[in-house]
Formats: sequence, C-alpha cells, structure tokens
Amino acid sequence: MPPYVLPDKCDGCKNEADPWCVAVCPGNLFMIDPVTSKALCRDPGECWDCMTCTIFCPRQAIVTQVQYQLAPIPAELIPRLGKRHITWTLIDCKGRIYRLENMILAGEGEEED
Amino acid sequence: MRERVYIDTDILIIGGGTAGCLAAWEARRVGGPKLRITVVDRANIRHSGSLAAGQNALNAYINQGTPEDWVAYVRYDLLGAPVREDILLSVGYELNETVALMEKEGLPIKKDAQGRYLRRGKWNIEVNGRWLKPITAKMAEKAEAQILNWVYITELIKQDGRCVGAVGFGVRDGRFYVIKARAVLMAAGGAAGIWRSRYEGDAHHRMWYVPFNNGASYAMMKRIGAEMTGFDTRMIPLRIKDTYAPAGTLAIGVNAPMVNALGEVFMLEKEEYVRMGGHTAPTPVRVWACYREIAAGRGPIFMDTTRGDPEKVAGLREQYLDMSPTTVLYWAAHDIDPAREPIEIEADSPFLVGAHAACCGAWTIGITRMTTIPGLFASGEALGQAPSRYISGCWTCGRIAGRHMVQWLEGEGTEVPELDPGLVAQLEARTFAPLERWSKQEFFTNGKPVRGILPREMETHMQNVMEDYCGGRIRYFTVSEPYLEIARRRIDRLRRDQLRYLVARDLFELERAWDVINRLDCCQLVIEHISYRKETRYLGFVTRTDYPERNDAEYDCFICSVWHPETDTLVFKKYPYEQIVPGDRTKETI
Repeated sequence: MPPYVLPDKCDGCKNEADPWCVAVCPGNLFMIDPVTSKALCRDPGECWDCMTCTIFCPRQAIVTQVQYQLAPIPAELIPRLGKRHITWTLIDCKGRIYRLENMILAGEGEEED
Repeated sequence: MRERVYIDTDILIIGGGTAGCLAAWEARRVGGPKLRITVVDRANIRHSGSLAAGQNALNAYINQGTPEDWVAYVRYDLLGAPVREDILLSVGYELNETVALMEKEGLPIKKDAQGRYLRRGKWNIEVNGRWLKPITAKMAEKAEAQILNWVYITELIKQDGRCVGAVGFGVRDGRFYVIKARAVLMAAGGAAGIWRSRYEGDAHHRMWYVPFNNGASYAMMKRIGAEMTGFDTRMIPLRIKDTYAPAGTLAIGVNAPMVNALGEVFMLEKEEYVRMGGHTAPTPVRVWACYREIAAGRGPIFMDTTRGDPEKVAGLREQYLDMSPTTVLYWAAHDIDPAREPIEIEADSPFLVGAHAACCGAWTIGITRMTTIPGLFASGEALGQAPSRYISGCWTCGRIAGRHMVQWLEGEGTEVPELDPGLVAQLEARTFAPLERWSKQEFFTNGKPVRGILPREMETHMQNVMEDYCGGRIRYFTVSEPYLEIARRRIDRLRRDQLRYLVARDLFELERAWDVINRLDCCQLVIEHISYRKETRYLGFVTRTDYPERNDAEYDCFICSVWHPETDTLVFKKYPYEQIVPGDRTKETI
C-alpha cells in the first residue's frame, strides 16, 4: 500500500538518468525531488500497491505500508530480489517473523547476492 | 508548436501488454526481418498494466475435453450470453500451445506428481506469475520491435476511411509523437475508475483492476468511428474485502466454500441458487446471490478457509505474494490467519473488461481481429464479445492479431500517404489543450484555478454520477431508465461543456486529464448500451429493475453502436448470434 521512501537509505540512485523506482512504476508515480535528490511517490493515493518499486530498490529504501484507514500498525513486508526468486520477510503485528519465498523465473542457476 | 517525433512504421501496437507483446512476436515470426514493428506504452512495458503485480494462475487452459468444450463453458459462465464463438474457438485451438511457449520463455508453471501442469479447477493452471509481465515484455524485445516506453497515445488517425496511425505525448519529455502506420493494433487494456472507488484519499486506488487502465482502448476506437459492443455487460468482481485481491485462489485453489454469516453454504443449500448452478453457477449469478444474502440480512459473506484443504491453506500467503502482496501485509497487520478464520469477501466496483468476465470492446470482422475501421485491429481487453480469455487467451489473441495484421499488409494495407498537416496540428492542439489552459489561468490564494477544473475533480464528479445513477455498489448494482436518464444528462454535460475547463499543471497531470477524457467516453458507451438493452440478461452484473426478465425475441443478439461526432450520439445496430458449438447454451458440456 502506498510506498514511502526512507531518506537515510535512498541515494537517488546516484543521479543515474533513470533511478529504479522511477523506471518501473506502472503509474509513473515516482520522481526525484529536485531539492533533496531523493525519490518520492508524488501521489500515494494513485498507487495500486503492486510493490514493484519496493522489490527493485537496490537500497531497500522503499517501505510499502497498508493505508491506516484499512489496517492498524505495525506490520512489515520486505522483499529481496534474487535472480530466480524473491525472498520476503514478513513481520506481523505481534512481531512474529516469517520468511517466504516465491519463484519468479523457471530454470536452474546461481542466486545473486 | 512543440518538439515533434515522427515515426513511420508498418505495425503500430498501442499497449505493451499480454496481447501487444505477443502480437509483436508473432508478426515478426510470420512477417520476416524487414517488417517495422513499434510498441507504445504509457509506462515501461516490463512492469505496466494489469500484470504489474503478477498473477498466480492462468485462467484459460484446456485441461480436458476440447476447445469446443471450453467455448461452451465460457458461454455458460455468462449465462448463455451471446459470445463470439468463432473468436473464442480460434483462441481455444492455440491456447495450450501458447502457454507451452511462455513456459519455455521462463514462466514457472507448477506441476503435479505426474509432471503435468497443476490444475486449478477445470480450465485453470497454477503458476508462479509474479514475473509474468517482464517475461511477456521480453517477447516484444525478442521480436526486435521498436519499443517506446512512457508515451501516452491520445488519438488514432483516420484518413480516407482507414486507420493510419496515432498521436500522443511523451510523459517524460513532453514531445508530440506522430506515428504513421500501415496497421494499428489497439491493445491498451480495459477500464478501471469509471465508478466510485470503495475508499478515498490514500486508498482510492485500492482496487482489483489496475487503475492505470483508463478505457483508452474503448474511447479512442469509439472516437474514430469503430463499431463498439458489449458495454451492456460490465464486470463486478467478488474479491477479498479491503484489498480486492482475487478470490478464486480461495474458492478453487483451496476449496474454501462461500458462506453467509450463518455459516450456510448458500449456493449449495438454497434451492433458488442450486437451480442456477450451485457453487459453479455463472459468475454474475454468484455476485447476485451474495448481494441477495446481504440484502436479506445474512451478511457478511466469507470464503470459509477453515473448511478448505489445510495443506493448501497453509501456502496461501505465498500464492498471494505472486499477485497481491498487499493482501499478505494486510493479514499480518490484522493478525488474520486464513487457517483460523474465514476470509470476508465483497464486490469491488464494476470494471469494463473484454478479456475477463465481460464483453466490452470493438466489434471485429470474422476472426481477423480487424475492427470495422480498415487497418485498425483490436486484441486483449479491447476485443469485444469474447470474454474469459484472461492472460493466456490474450497472449493467444495477440498472436492471431499479429498474423492477420501481416496478411493485411500483404494485401490492402498499402503504403500510407503523407499525413494531412492540418489534421496533425489539430490533434496536437487537442492533446496539449489542458496544459495550455493552465498557463492562462488566474488562481485563488490557495493556488486553486479560478475557472479551471483539475482532472481529479472531474473524475470524482464523473464517478459520483456513475455510482449513484448507473448501478454502482450503493444501488446494489441495479439500474433503471429514470436513473440512467440522470446519468446521461450529467455525463453529457461533462463531455460536451465541461471539458473546456479541464486544466493540467504539468505532464503528470496531463496524463490524468486524458485519463478522465477517456473515462468519460467510456461512460457514454456504458450508459447508452445498458439503456438500449431493455432486459436483464446478465443478472448480477447489470440488473435492470424496470426490465427484470430476459427478452430473447428482442435482445438475444449482439448489440453494436457507432458514434456520430456531429450529434454526439450512438447509433445502434444488431447482429444475430451465431452458435457454432451445438447444445444448450445455458449448460456446460463437460
């Protein structure tokens, strides 16, 4: 649910022409703030919660939250992208931690770090 | 005049999704290396459109029986509705082959103990589909198509009665794109955001269908004069409440029964629902049944996952991570465990789709996928009267469209003469008009334009009208002529008079402005088509309180309309239903 950017983690993709979050959002919602050079979601309400930005951020700087109008806090879902899998860390409101994995590409191969 | 980009191509594909990317691939395969293919998308084709979050099943696959059996099922699932059996059969013959092709491209498809694709119900297979979109996009990349990401197409171009290209603007660079093409494929998806969203503010896009699909397919084809059809169906999805994630995973994926608040499996326990097909009743009937239960005071409605297959229930979170990670996070925030408690379901807003459980789109000639405008083809959600194709069917449909476009190029699709500069200038002015108006605005002290309307304001007005007067959730999805008359008046006022006040501050807002222009055209199609069909054929999707019965003598046929710009009216015509697969249309064959 809408993505928010942690300022200490985001490095604006080091002024690359096309930062990851800006390049992948299907709604064209990400931009780099010209003042801080960090990413932001320009209209969280427009977001469809697909979490593509969150998956791709190389610094894990994007936090996807459930809108408070729909769910209480806290809960966290943190994806980590490998070559053929995404590994998700889920922390529920009781603080229980789950490690979940889903395959994204068929075949065998080395997992990237 | 803005900076222009001129592109001259053979095949222009609008929308780099399931249909578009596979059309590019197939066109290259049969058309050879010299063919110029261009794919345009408003976002980045690797992550755009309704597959942005992935999917965990392919809902069209022939696990058993024949393509004819599948067509009989599709027909049954829309209450024996008129469907284009010729188009569906053409898809059915190639469905499984296309799925095998995509598996080779890297799509992980789950297998059973015997190594066969893992079935989910009669016509579905389970996949790990989080990466469906990048895998699909790779097909267009492999075809060496010219890919234009971040270009928003606003209008098709018609010259001498033929579609010869399209124009649009770069959402990042602000340039005006003028694309001349010998054949154009419209595959820009269906429409979300026509009716009022369930939530406001930061959750107003928390919905089942992707909100970035704005009905541009339908609007652009309508404006160019193509025959449009199927807007008298609209899809109302029953989904997990609050996240609106697909519920099929619960129903056929883990065999959880649908129950009311009393714990009754009402589809199987109540005579009136059993008569209509029980728990495998046609999709609209299941929506209708849920709302009857709620209206009778027996809501909420749940999928009782505590009675599902325990082993499969345990894997639900992984299944939802493949397509709706939001749901997993929501469950964690609420401490919901589907093994311990049932999952509440509810209807989301209606959506306009042509490849899911509704028929919206363009009327096409035979199985060519060509619309009534020569040179303009339609596929995916933009193709009318051929529902239930889903992802795998859209891949297949795209391939078929690609082949027919190549044939057209070899025959009548001759070179296009130079575009009329006057027309192009007119289209440019129209494309950027909301931006131009912004620069002429005066503003109140808080920055609001004095005589300008922001896209979001207009969208909200439109959604309020559709919700209240065109069968939204608050009306339990029912409509009647007196309501439609108000909807017609209000929407016509917006379209004919208010668009001249629409303003956009920047390119991002210009996208929103065009979203609402397109959605308003879709509203006109929906209101007029529902109004024309004076019967209730799709109980649950469009329930007419003034005409509650079916009227086969008048309406067991396809209803098409053509837009006449000079009067801004739709002129209707009927085509007879042609049944190819024999048997009772309201029954499945297997």
